[in-house]
Amino acid sequence: MNGDVGIIGLGRTAMSVRPGGAASDLAVAAVADALADAGLSRNEIDGLLVGSSQGVRPDRVGVALAQQAGFGDLRLLEHVEIKGATTIAMIERARLAISTGAARAVVCVFADAPLRAGGGAGSTYAHSGGNSGTRGLERASGVLGSVPTYALLAARWLATTGGSADDLCHVALAARAWAVHNPEAVQRKPLDADAYYASPMVSTPLRRLDCARPVNGAAAVVLAAGAGGVRIRGIGRDHPVRRRRAGAESWFGGGRRALDDALTEAGISRGDLDVLELYDPFTIVTLCLLEEYGFCEPGKAGPLVSSGALAPGGVLPTNTGGGQLSGFYLQGMTPLVEALVQLRGQGGERQVRGARTALVGGIGGRLDHHACLILEAA
Amino acid sequence: MSTDWLLEDDLAPSLDDETLGELYRGAERGQLVLPFCPGCGLALELEQKVCDGCGTCGPAWRPVEPRGHVHSVTVVHRLEPGLVRTTDPYPVADIELVDGHRLVLAAVTPAPAPAIGDAVSIGFRRLGGVAVPAFHHEVSAAELEESR
Repeated sequence: MNGDVGIIGLGRTAMSVRPGGAASDLAVAAVADALADAGLSRNEIDGLLVGSSQGVRPDRVGVALAQQAGFGDLRLLEHVEIKGATTIAMIERARLAISTGAARAVVCVFADAPLRAGGGAGSTYAHSGGNSGTRGLERASGVLGSVPTYALLAARWLATTGGSADDLCHVALAARAWAVHNPEAVQRKPLDADAYYASPMVSTPLRRLDCARPVNGAAAVVLAAGAGGVRIRGIGRDHPVRRRRAGAESWFGGGRRALDDALTEAGISRGDLDVLELYDPFTIVTLCLLEEYGFCEPGKAGPLVSSGALAPGGVLPTNTGGGQLSGFYLQGMTPLVEALVQLRGQGGERQVRGARTALVGGIGGRLDHHACLILEAA
Repeated sequence: MSTDWLLEDDLAPSLDDETLGELYRGAERGQLVLPFCPGCGLALELEQKVCDGCGTCGPAWRPVEPRGHVHSVTVVHRLEPGLVRTTDPYPVADIELVDGHRLVLAAVTPAPAPAIGDAVSIGFRRLGGVAVPAFHHEVSAAELEESR
């Protein structure tokens, strides 16, 4: 299967930090952009995979997009949902369909529109989640939106590893240093430590600049057999589904195995990766994943980031478009879009010279789901 | 009329909650009631229906000792309009209970945040007429160490 399937089209909308645009309209626009990029017409597409933000928003895109986006008869049509691992799961599903002959050309699209008139994305997330089950109890305890949950993870991580707020700060600064050179990034103003520490606290130890910036936007890719495009070299998944009990840690593995499986399929090692595009909804997640994926020894993610390794000119170029933190938060599409930009040599001022191989990482839930994708330039 | 110091009534859970009804009805009696495996006695997660240890179906809910310690803690500064009543940042703690469960809870009354490792006891807040488990800060980990 290796090398048989490639990503031949990439499309996206503008990433907006202002309300406007229904998710379905954004999805339609991204699909059109991806088809134009691939040089294909709608009637040459026989597969459509749709991803949307999990949660309770009523306008999330689904399989109705096939009709809305003007497709004809399809042989593959699914709404894929595995939280933040969805984008890579869509790529995996599309590759399977193409490699077995179930479909010839497949579009994968993700769209989200959390920004509403009268309230920012933070407010949308704070009001989502309902009153029932575990989430209902958490919400009744003041855990509104996802920041407090990751703040608990961050507080535990810093206490356990002996890290400090400076570790979080360095992640934010590295992401911003890349975003400065990304015209698509929504936060491009140069950032220093003073500005980071002036950022309002949201939930200790996470400040506003430790949190991703949600957007209204969409991104789509087109996959087809052979014939050029960025090659899919390896995919790995792991769903640890560990139980949260007394005595257990707040992070529990799975990412290492997902990456190992992807690397094994690709026949390469960690040192062969030219760029890392990680899922970074919060600064703490970058630290967790560097260690979880095995790019540093346990407890050494803070010193690694503080050394400047992730930033432009560093030895481990990471989240080279600014990631979700400073680029745009479009869940799993954010790292995939940037990996494709880099491997197509379209990174402009932020292009990592000679980037041939990229890791795209995806996490879902509270580090409950892991997906890793290895891509190689055409 | 809300009697909770922290949140608006809209966030109140229901006594008839499909998964946590036992917990809220127990709280109404002043007991912390949590799910265990009826086969091997393993502490289960709140929504777990089958034991991952022995495979027995169906949780058995029973009162637990209302004590534990802080696994992690955050102070929430974002006070969402329409949902949060207090005008000050408030602590939320991830608590490891002595009987093996983990719960993320608010404080019973406004109080400074505990530290990781600190001992807590579990009491209840009343939110929209429903009793919701919450933590009391008992003694700091440092004080515990000193008393040994």
